[in-house]
Order: sequence, then C-alpha cells, then structure tokens
Amino acid sequence: MKHPYQIVIVNKAGTHLFTSVKNTVQVFELASGKKVGEWIDDISPDQVTHQNTQISKKKGEPIMSQPIYNHIRSLLLTGNEEYLVGTTDSDKSTIIFHVDFTGENCLTLSKRQVLAKRPCSISFDAGNENVVVADKFGDVYSIPIDTNEPVPEKELAPILGHVSMLSDVLVTSYKGKQFIITGDRDEHIRISNYPKSYVIKNFLFGHREFVSDLYVSEHDPSVLISGGGDDFICLWHWFDNELLTKVELRDLVEEYLHDGHLPPARFLTEDSKKEISIAKISTLKTDDSYFLIVLVENTRCLLVFEINDDFTVTHNQTITIDNSIVDFSIDESNKRIIASVDTESSQLFEAFKYEQGKFSIDSSLEQSFKSVTDANPFDVESKSDFQQLYYINSMRKRSEH
Amino acid sequence: MPKPPQPPCTKDKETQLREQQEAEIKRRAYRENKQNARKKVKHARFEEPTDVSPVDLPRKRFYRQRAHSNPFSDHRLDYPNSPDTMDWSKMYPNFYDSELGKMTSKVEIADIGCGYGGLLTQLGPSFPESLVLGMEIRVQVTQYVEDRIIALRNKHAQDDYKYDNISVIRGNAMKFLPNFFYKSQLSKMFFCFPDPHFKQRKHKARIITNTLLSEYAYVLKEGGVIYTITDVEDLHNWMVQHLDEHPLFERLSKEWEDQDKCVEIMYNSTEEGQKVTRNKGSKWVACYRRLPNPEECV
Repeated sequence: MKHPYQIVIVNKAGTHLFTSVKNTVQVFELASGKKVGEWIDDISPDQVTHQNTQISKKKGEPIMSQPIYNHIRSLLLTGNEEYLVGTTDSDKSTIIFHVDFTGENCLTLSKRQVLAKRPCSISFDAGNENVVVADKFGDVYSIPIDTNEPVPEKELAPILGHVSMLSDVLVTSYKGKQFIITGDRDEHIRISNYPKSYVIKNFLFGHREFVSDLYVSEHDPSVLISGGGDDFICLWHWFDNELLTKVELRDLVEEYLHDGHLPPARFLTEDSKKEISIAKISTLKTDDSYFLIVLVENTRCLLVFEINDDFTVTHNQTITIDNSIVDFSIDESNKRIIASVDTESSQLFEAFKYEQGKFSIDSSLEQSFKSVTDANPFDVESKSDFQQLYYINSMRKRSEH
Repeated sequence: MPKPPQPPCTKDKETQLREQQEAEIKRRAYRENKQNARKKVKHARFEEPTDVSPVDLPRKRFYRQRAHSNPFSDHRLDYPNSPDTMDWSKMYPNFYDSELGKMTSKVEIADIGCGYGGLLTQLGPSFPESLVLGMEIRVQVTQYVEDRIIALRNKHAQDDYKYDNISVIRGNAMKFLPNFFYKSQLSKMFFCFPDPHFKQRKHKARIITNTLLSEYAYVLKEGGVIYTITDVEDLHNWMVQHLDEHPLFERLSKEWEDQDKCVEIMYNSTEEGQKVTRNKGSKWVACYRRLPNPEECV
C-alpha cells in the first residue's frame, strides 16, 4: 500500500502530472505514467520537527500540538510553466525548480530560500519574476526567480504583514495594475497594491470564520472566489469591493460529512455541528458553460456549480467516489479533473471527464495512474500510517479566554 | 515600570494568603456591583433617567490587571464584521439621530491602548465636536474606563460639556482596526506608553511595525497624524526608525510639536505619563503625518 499524494497539478496542455507525496516531488507523463522528473528533500520525511514538548505550567501535562512533518506544503507552476515552485515544512524554505523536459530529470533545483517562519502559500507576479510567499506568522515575502544565491533569512524584509496566520496569497492584475490579495485566520481578505504593497486598497468583509482559499480565474480576473471555515463560499468583484454571491454548501455536502468533521474532543459538545472547511476552489470553462468546482476538506465528493452570466451560481452536479479526495487539479485542455485520493487501493488518482453536460469517471488513464502509483516511494502498512492529509480545519478559532 | 522595593514581610504565610483572598473577593464584589450599574445604563440609553446614576468615579485599585496581553492569542473579543455593521449609537447616544436612524458624526480620534483613559478624558473636552474612541485589550482596564465615563457623564449631565463624545471599547487594534474604521476615517491616532516588548523575538508584538503601519495608514486620512510617546528610549528609537522607513509617513518637526495642543495633553494627561513624571523619568515624543498615496496606487 502506498501513501496518498498531498498535491496534484496538471499542466495547461494536459500532458504532465506534477505530484508531491510527503517530502518528494515527482513528475509524470500523463498518457503513459512514465516518470520524467523527481526531487527528494534530503531531510527525512518521518522526522518530526517542531513538535511542542513543553509541559503546561498550570496542569503539569504536556502541551499537545500537532506534529509538523517534513512535507512539501504547496506546489505551483509559473504561468509560462518554466518553473515549479514549492514550500517545505522541514527547513521552512521556498524551493524553485527549473522545468526542462529535454533532460533525464526534468526538475533542477535552482534556488532554495530559507524563511524565518513556515511558509504556507505562494503566488507569482506578472512576468513570473518573483515568487510571493505567505507565512504562518502573517508576513509576505517576495523572492526573485533567478539563480542568484539565496539571501540569509534575517535579511529578508516582509512586503506586507497581518497580525494573524496567513492562509493564502494571490497576485493578480486589474486594468494593467497589479494587486496582492491575502487571506488570514481572522476572517480578513486584504487587497494591497503591488509592488507598493504598503498601500492597502481595501478589505473584503463577508467571512465569519477563517479564510483558507483564494481563487481568481484567468478567464475573468475581476472575480475573486474565496472560501474557508464558513458554510458558504463568496464571489466578489474584488476591485469594486462588491460581494456578488454567497454560495451555500451545507445542504449539498451534509451527507458526505462524517465524524472526522466534528470538533476535537475537548471542544466537543452535544450540539457541535460537523464543520466545513474549504480545501480547494477552481473553475473549468467549456464552450458553453463556466463551472465552479469546490472540494470540502476530507469529503469523497466534488461540488460542481455553474457560474451564470449575472454571477448567480447554480448547483450542477456532485461528483462522488468511494474515498476522500485530498487534492485536485483542472486539465483545461482535455476538460478533465484529476484528483488525488485517500485510499488503500493501488490507484491513488481518479480522473473525471466532462462529456455531454456532465462529469463522469474517465477510466482511460487507469493504467497510467497505476504506473504513477508504482513509482510512489512510500510504502505503508495501513491507513493509520497516512500523515497529515487534512489540516485546514485546525485553523478554526476556538477561543478559551 | 520597576516595582518599588517591598517592605520586609512580617506576617506568616497563612495570614498573607487569607488577606490576599479577602482582597480579591472584595475587588470582585466591587466590580460586580459596578458591572450591574454599567449594564443598566447601557440598556437604558444614557439620556433616559435610570435608578442607578453613579457619579462617584470608579477606584482604580479594584480593576488592576497585569500590564501585558498577548496580541496574537484568540481572545474572546466582540468586534463588528465590518465598519458597516458597527453600532456606535449606544456608545455616543448624543450623536445619534434617532429620526434618521444614523450617527451624526464618525469617530475621528483613536487612542490605541488607552489604558485607564487619562488621555480620553482630556481629549474629549478639547475636541467637543469630534468623537474620540479609546481601545484597550485588557478586560478590567476597559471596564474601569467605561465606569469612569459613565460617572463623568452623570456628574456633568447639566454642564455645557457632558463627556458625551468619548467612549471606550475592548479590542485588539493590531488585528481588527479595519473592522471598526473605514479607509481614511481617522484624523488622529495616539500610541501612548505602549508595551515595550523588550525581547527580540517579541518585537512583532510591538504596536508599531512596518507592516502594521500600513494598516494605520489605511484608516488614517491624508494629513492625519500618528502621535507616539514612551518612557523607554529603545522603544522610541524603534518607533522612529520604523515610521521613518515607512513611505506613507513623514516626521513632524519639534516646532510643530511645541505648538500642537495634543502633544501637550499627551505629555501630561495619561496615568502612565504622570507616573513617569513622579519618578522623574524621561518622555520621548514623535509625531508623523500621513502622506498622500503614490500616484499609481489606489
């Protein structure tokens, strides 16, 4: 049995699959399942760092914190697909790879920039000159994509900061100007000018719980879609500070929620509700429709909506499989969704193709997915060895004082 | 502030403990009593007659709380979802037009970390047409200021100036300022004797940092002023360095400080400032003006 992949990305042409399992990045040809690139972080994946070992002064019990494994936390291709950029939990760094399919291994690490605090999300500015990285301490840094030596982390100065844990960052353009959008654990979405990010444009108020995912489609950069710990996601005309639509999810997703969605034991009460956290938001444009696809963390379904011309949103379909979906990526060229699945089976991916108005399981990639899974270096005994596939809901605030 | 040396202890431990417990019970009873009075006033609206009209100023010793609070922790705070949903009418009832159903004025002056409210009670009468808000993160200290304002309003109910333009709120300004104030709403922000957070790794907890200054610049209007004062020279240098570095702020001259009445009030009126004077300590002042945004920015 293999350990599930925490990240999956398909390139725009739909020819290659970029994946990450634990501390390893692997690249495959999608059609054949042939491995064409690999990079392994030399810090062991099972070595737990940053685990809190303090003893509580008041109770005399150890303070339990979630262990941080040495995993790759985020992965993103630049717009021109010349670079693949990720972040590591091990040494809190941003890793920049040059992607070149002519070589034996398509990944060449061109920079490893260590940060002071654990990075959690990345984006690129126009022209793909800089990676913009957000960290868990609330700061955002800009790191040039070049082959220069990394800067000592003490010399890096943040380009903006929140007094809150950041969850996502996006650089986007509107009428020729660039802006940086940041989401945090205190329900805030902030819009700042870029590169002069000390000038805040405005805040978008609408979320009641943490924000975990910000999404802007290439097809319409004026619309921001945001989700987090609420039962709804929001569509915004972010530049005009206008909330277009709130899409309610609870009724649609309720039957796919399970005990894993209840609050941790010490916060559990009789009327605790199962909690919804947004793992991923994306869109897919076909000739006649514009689909919004939403993954609620640790569910075995993808919610598919149609975004209408007046920005109303209607539920179109719920794609379901037998096991929870960890991550998914849109293969726009082939009108396909490729999902990484939390399963004990020998096939850790699933593809869904859009045909005649519906998404349905595409079995044509089965062989390819089996080869990909065979190349996964992490054999495990049982499901209980799967590490940290779902962590977004831990951002939820449970104030005690 | 360093504590004055304690007299040598003559009582045995048990007596000490008992006395401490008794004192705590007394403090709690006092605060509960005040809380009931406060609740009645709050619910009844200020201008209506109430059976409880405290005119005695509250006594500070019943509200003492340790001087530090962690700005990063998730305190159980009440804050509005956005400035649109903030209800100011209960806090400034005389500035609420009940026929139009809206406020006649907006908060323009904010004292961030207002402590026991010494600055508020001086700024209020100096700017009777402006709404002045104190923000304080410590619960009991906030309650003290609330009780102080209630008592002042009752005491001066028949006077020309009624202390009706000052109010206080418990909040974390480092996190939630944009939930209270619109862009460019404020004309003055005060940072008086902030927590110095001496340790290097605690520097992000300081109230003036490069990244937080961008948020202050957001709520301040062009030409608005940030006032800072501290008795810790290191902290003064830190604040000056960061404000100097920030492209949206420009330091105001010594001459400007000398003629500005707020600087004078800030120098003399806060509890912390008076304590520094009593201990013959030094006070450092720095004031900065909010510059216009660069042309290409929105």
